[in-house]
Amino acid sequence: MNDGDMGVIVRTMARATIPLIGIFGAYVVMHGHLTPGGGFQGGTTIAGAGILFLIAFGLGEMKKRYNKNLYSALEGLGGLVFLGAAMLGIGVAFFYNTLWHNGPFFNGKPGTLLSAGYLPIMNLAVGLKVFTGLVSALTAIALWRRWKE
Amino acid sequence: MKRTIAYLSLLFIVGALLYIANPNYGLKFGPGGEDWLKYRYTDNYYIEHGVEEVGGTNIVTDIVFDYRGYDTIGEATVLFTAIAGAIALLRPWRGDGK
Repeated sequence: MNDGDMGVIVRTMARATIPLIGIFGAYVVMHGHLTPGGGFQGGTTIAGAGILFLIAFGLGEMKKRYNKNLYSALEGLGGLVFLGAAMLGIGVAFFYNTLWHNGPFFNGKPGTLLSAGYLPIMNLAVGLKVFTGLVSALTAIALWRRWKE
Repeated sequence: MKRTIAYLSLLFIVGALLYIANPNYGLKFGPGGEDWLKYRYTDNYYIEHGVEEVGGTNIVTDIVFDYRGYDTIGEATVLFTAIAGAIALLRPWRGDGK
């Protein structure tokens, strides 16, 4: 037990379940336009995997893996991709789904993965944004240990 | 004294809201049949035209990201601001180091 990590059972279980949670979250984000869920819900699920990593392996391991600049840059990038997808049909209107009406891709039959215009792009962007934002916030809270020991 | 007035006004607001929420005078819960088209015509439009107009079979995503995308932009901005504020407030203070 060094620097707040859990025991060996918890760490082994976390090693097994973190990829599963991540894959499930990525599934929820990718199928946001087909099934219940979407960017916010899937992003929170993946952030749950990050928080499990943080509490299972401790703050020391998280400090090694977590890069503040990268995570803040990715959060801004998610927002920018969202805005960019909204601007795609700016010739007609803001939030005009031009990929769906006359786009080169993402215009398959409704119900297939590559359909629904900019919706998958926006879901991915929002998922990235929510995941990086929540992981950054929780890491900042975990790093804030100013109480007297 | 002030606290008494505050509780009394809270009681009044709760009573007024309960009156409004009574189906005999105000809101109706679970409208169906004719009431559906009378009170929920917007929902009806989304359900009927969502798939052809936006393309996603998830109507909630269609509404949230296409019909009412501005709201989602605002929501993402709120999240961004909340996280930026939390991280800005949780930075180490000056002279906080070991």
